[in-house]
Amino acid sequence: MTCEEFQRVLTQPESGDTMEQEAHLESCSPCADLVGDLKAISQQARLLQGSEEPSPLVWNSIEIALRQEGLIRQSGTARVPLSTASARPRLGWLLPVAAAVLVAFGILLHERGGRSPQYAEQQSGLRSPVVELANDDVQLLRMVAERTPAMRAAIEADLRSVNAYVRDAEQSARNNPNDEVAQEYLLSAYEQRSMVYEMALDHSLP
Amino acid sequence: MQRRQWAASLVVAVILVGAVLAAAETRKEFHFKVRHRASLSIVNQYGPISVKPASGKQIVIVAILYSDRVEVDPNQRGNRVSVSSHLLAGADADSGRVDYEAQVPADASVTLHSATGPLHAEKLRGDVFLEGNTAIVDARDLNDGHIHVKTLNGPVTLTNVSDGHVEITSVSGDIVLNSVNGPLVQVNSSSGKIRYDGDFSGGGEYLLTSHTGDIEATAPAYASIEVVAHSIQGKVENDFLLQPERYSFIPGAGSAFAGTMGKAASLVKLLSFSGKIHLKKR
Repeated sequence: MTCEEFQRVLTQPESGDTMEQEAHLESCSPCADLVGDLKAISQQARLLQGSEEPSPLVWNSIEIALRQEGLIRQSGTARVPLSTASARPRLGWLLPVAAAVLVAFGILLHERGGRSPQYAEQQSGLRSPVVELANDDVQLLRMVAERTPAMRAAIEADLRSVNAYVRDAEQSARNNPNDEVAQEYLLSAYEQRSMVYEMALDHSLP
Repeated sequence: MQRRQWAASLVVAVILVGAVLAAAETRKEFHFKVRHRASLSIVNQYGPISVKPASGKQIVIVAILYSDRVEVDPNQRGNRVSVSSHLLAGADADSGRVDYEAQVPADASVTLHSATGPLHAEKLRGDVFLEGNTAIVDARDLNDGHIHVKTLNGPVTLTNVSDGHVEITSVSGDIVLNSVNGPLVQVNSSSGKIRYDGDFSGGGEYLLTSHTGDIEATAPAYASIEVVAHSIQGKVENDFLLQPERYSFIPGAGSAFAGTMGKAASLVKLLSFSGKIHLKKR
């Protein structure tokens, strides 16, 4: 069973674990990682589903992490607890948003973990002319190469381009935490990266 | 005599090649009856898609298939029509190619997806979503709808778009907007150049952002805009005499200018990391 076949059956809700799938999981660490990530997300989603709205701890964690990264600035006003019923009577719709933010932030942190040497260069103010590919990027390129080999080089070039965009935008946001324009760059850069992933995956699936 | 024989042979060869090519191509035509505000989605791996308006309440699609290694799957569920190319084993960019030409009611929403393109849409009033990797995207004479374009490397040209809700994202394709206006015009490029030529009318928000690509915006002297332009590492250039802004604009770093013209009905933001920004007077 190939990675492509495994990931195809993974998306089918009725598919149970078969010997073939288990054998593939044992021999393929990227697919095993993928399944592990999906299970973790699924478990977290179930926890979120249990409450009517996200715990304040969730928001606090996100806020602290974003502040530590320097991606948001200190606000002078105290944050109103989300559990205040009079402020937001119906906040059920925030559940998927919270989940999406958590997943996106997890991906962001994972990316940084995968390219720590580069991150260290950013911290010291030295920008590398060559943008490294994160682990996720390498995995994505592998999938593209399996499905549409002709696209691999173009996607890799695009990934390097948007990674440079993200790198510069992150540094700009970090250096200028009160600059709205820097925040705009950051959003634009993430949008670009998200699009490359979306389109690459789109063409890599049957 | 020898020349005549050579000419005759050439004619025969051309006819044979033409016959072989014609035999390899298959033409299919699909008709779908739809109601008001129908939606059409065409997903094509390889080959162009073109959509134009037609009178009547029907969608007509003509597909030219270039080999038997690709199939076309039509589908209709109520007012929603979708057609997709289905590659069979061994198909590549040549044998998997399908050319689509569609005619739709002008108020239909259209989603076109082709890796190679080109993609073309014109004279529509519904929402238009165009997506392609290297596809050249050309859309013109669109009114009122949401126009979303995504490409990796393909260049994008929008012409005569009014009251549009426009969002364009491209990694390295150049983006050209001619006479495009609406409540939101948002362009995001990594390395491609962005060129806007219009009057920024409609009291909208125009946000043109690039990483390394240059941004050139051309507007008439009567434009009613509030402008913020900022490049962290590139140069900025402005041909207009702008009034100081209502609030102080302090860029974090790099070159910038800001100010208003006329009643400042529309907001224009031109932002680049290292590209050159030029606000030109027409």
